[in-house]
Amino acid sequence: MPAIVVAAAVAVLFFLAYRHYSSYLARRVYGADAAFVTPAHQYADGIDFVPTNKHVVFGHHFTSVAGAAPIVGPAIAAFWGWGPALAWIVVGTIFAAGVHDMGALAVSVRHRARNIGSIAHDVISKRARTLFLLIIFFLLTLVNAVFAVVIGNLLVANPGAVIPIFVEIPLAIGIGQYIYRSRSAALVPSLVGVVVLYLLIWVGQQVPIELTGLADALGVDNPRNVWVVILFVYAFIASRLPVWVLLQPRDYINSHQLFIALGVIAAGILVGWNTIAAPLVNDVPEGSPSIFPFLFITVACGAISGFHSLVASGTTAKQIDKEADVRHVGYLGAVGEGALAVGALLAVTAGVAATRADWQALYPDFSTASGGAVGNFVNGVGIFANNLGVPLDLAVIFAAVVVISFAATTMDTGVRLQRYVVQEIAEVLGWQRLARNLTLAGIVAVVVPLAMALLPGGGEAGYTFGVLWQLFGTTNQLTAGLALAVVGVWVVQRGRNPVAVLVPLAFLLVMTSWALVVNLRNFIDDGQWVLAPLDAIIFVLAMWLVVEAALALRRASGSTSGDERAPVPDDSPQRR
Amino acid sequence: MGPVDRGADRAVTGTGAVGRVVLVRPWTDARAGGGCCGGEARDGVAPLAGPGPERRRAHEHDAVADPVGAAYRALRAQLPDLDVQVVDAGNTAWLLPAVLRRARRRVGTLAAVRSALGATRAGSVLVDGVRVGDLADLDADEVVAVVRRAAAA
Repeated sequence: MPAIVVAAAVAVLFFLAYRHYSSYLARRVYGADAAFVTPAHQYADGIDFVPTNKHVVFGHHFTSVAGAAPIVGPAIAAFWGWGPALAWIVVGTIFAAGVHDMGALAVSVRHRARNIGSIAHDVISKRARTLFLLIIFFLLTLVNAVFAVVIGNLLVANPGAVIPIFVEIPLAIGIGQYIYRSRSAALVPSLVGVVVLYLLIWVGQQVPIELTGLADALGVDNPRNVWVVILFVYAFIASRLPVWVLLQPRDYINSHQLFIALGVIAAGILVGWNTIAAPLVNDVPEGSPSIFPFLFITVACGAISGFHSLVASGTTAKQIDKEADVRHVGYLGAVGEGALAVGALLAVTAGVAATRADWQALYPDFSTASGGAVGNFVNGVGIFANNLGVPLDLAVIFAAVVVISFAATTMDTGVRLQRYVVQEIAEVLGWQRLARNLTLAGIVAVVVPLAMALLPGGGEAGYTFGVLWQLFGTTNQLTAGLALAVVGVWVVQRGRNPVAVLVPLAFLLVMTSWALVVNLRNFIDDGQWVLAPLDAIIFVLAMWLVVEAALALRRASGSTSGDERAPVPDDSPQRR
Repeated sequence: MGPVDRGADRAVTGTGAVGRVVLVRPWTDARAGGGCCGGEARDGVAPLAGPGPERRRAHEHDAVADPVGAAYRALRAQLPDLDVQVVDAGNTAWLLPAVLRRARRRVGTLAAVRSALGATRAGSVLVDGVRVGDLADLDADEVVAVVRRAAAA
């Protein structure tokens, strides 16, 4: 089947879902009220709380949620065939991610734009805030670990990408300083930065850099691990810089790259008319992870990502002008990420291979599929760019540079966010020294994921990367579960029908718990004595979440029984 | 600045359409994107109340001391019917077409393109897509005066 047909069909489904289902959610489930005074109005300060046009907020929200993660999951999940992966991305986006992202935004808008962790404290229980922090700690730890491995693998596989990627750092700093000092417009310098970056691809191709010699000298088996250490040292330093010095200008360059990459994928599919080489449902080897439950934790971002609730309830909610705008910003943001995931899936099913045999050589087993997933995406996008006339070797480095740029920014921000979380947890525990010491908190934020990224067996065989990715997906789904639990309780307390929220919540909790149990048994059988306790801890968090959600829903149902509804449990501004 | 003449304000507010006035955040107050799963979630991961030196810097902006905040509040107070949007320079997906569309009506296509390219200058004060001042050079009352003049022109 031509990839363009799949892309068009998905676009129609997403349009219909936005048009009809998000409208139903806004009216019947979340009760968006045009007369409600949003926190952006009540606390308007022009900085954090700013009533902002929905298209402006969408631009901000989407660039904060669309990144590298929706690429990796679908690229691995193609292992089960393009049908199941596509079905989960589409159904997950429409019935889980849209509900979740929009709900997190809606509940936050009704609670002074506070974040989900803080609202969970009030709506679910006091313990829920601690649960939230622990889940986020593991989520960010795993994010940083898996992206370090992803970048390390790509730098080993694409030595031509090393120069552009590392020159991008001083380039971004230089652009940031130029914009700041000269007070010039940001667009032209950042576009110049993109051009310079792409010129460096040619330089990188002429001067590929490999660390095999250094790895040998250090006695390290896998040069990827040398890159991983370098990346964490870099991320630690970068996370201590003010956001505007490096992160912001690089992200600005990345925002151009996002549009360029999406344009290349769309135009490449259209021009090349690539057909899907992968099977609809892959006949996977015996002993492979089964579709249920593993597909649903392998594709987290792109189908449903709990991380979005952190963005929605932390920053975006403070800018919502009208309550009804949560539909445009939240639901459409989820749809945008789903579209990115579909693009990634098409790259690894239609772009990377022309025949079924070629494709099956890339996806012979789950470990190879996991270890090679991002490389397959890079090669697939390279083919799409090649359709447009870009020489293939340059096109592949271009795709690698795009993915590494995104992943590196995710690591920068991930380490920075983790430092905040470490400080928060330290404050809960009363460890004031850790709570106040940025360097110490930063070291904790770096050392834990570094240790995980260096676990033996990663990258090459793909085994450890595959399970780390699954654990990342699990914690991301648990974050989504916590947010959905908060939203569900809030909906029940308001006397509205919570089915649209509770179904994805139940589905996520069942899939994550199931996957954790299966993996725990496998880890114990395989003698994986680092992964097994990690899995067990996350399982305890999952069970804790199940109990808290059930108790809170029971309480909420009780409080709304009978004719008299409990007052709406928000502490938001008075209604007009 | 003297008392506000609401009659004169009606003349400047015009249609009240979205984005007549745009304040572009200063570069140092930019909000990074970052993407899933490391995007702009500074405020999303810190559920504890109370002071903390890093948290105060990272999550709690001092709106009173910020030039965008001061200008925004002054505009809202003195020109309440005029739509004001606060936008990041990085939000080009909205900023460029919006500025281009508005400026073209006012100054023609070529000048509008120039205006759109310049609109991403951090700290810009834009009225109908045209840059009329810089938050770094104007205090809040001066911003109101400049905007009032430009909107009435």
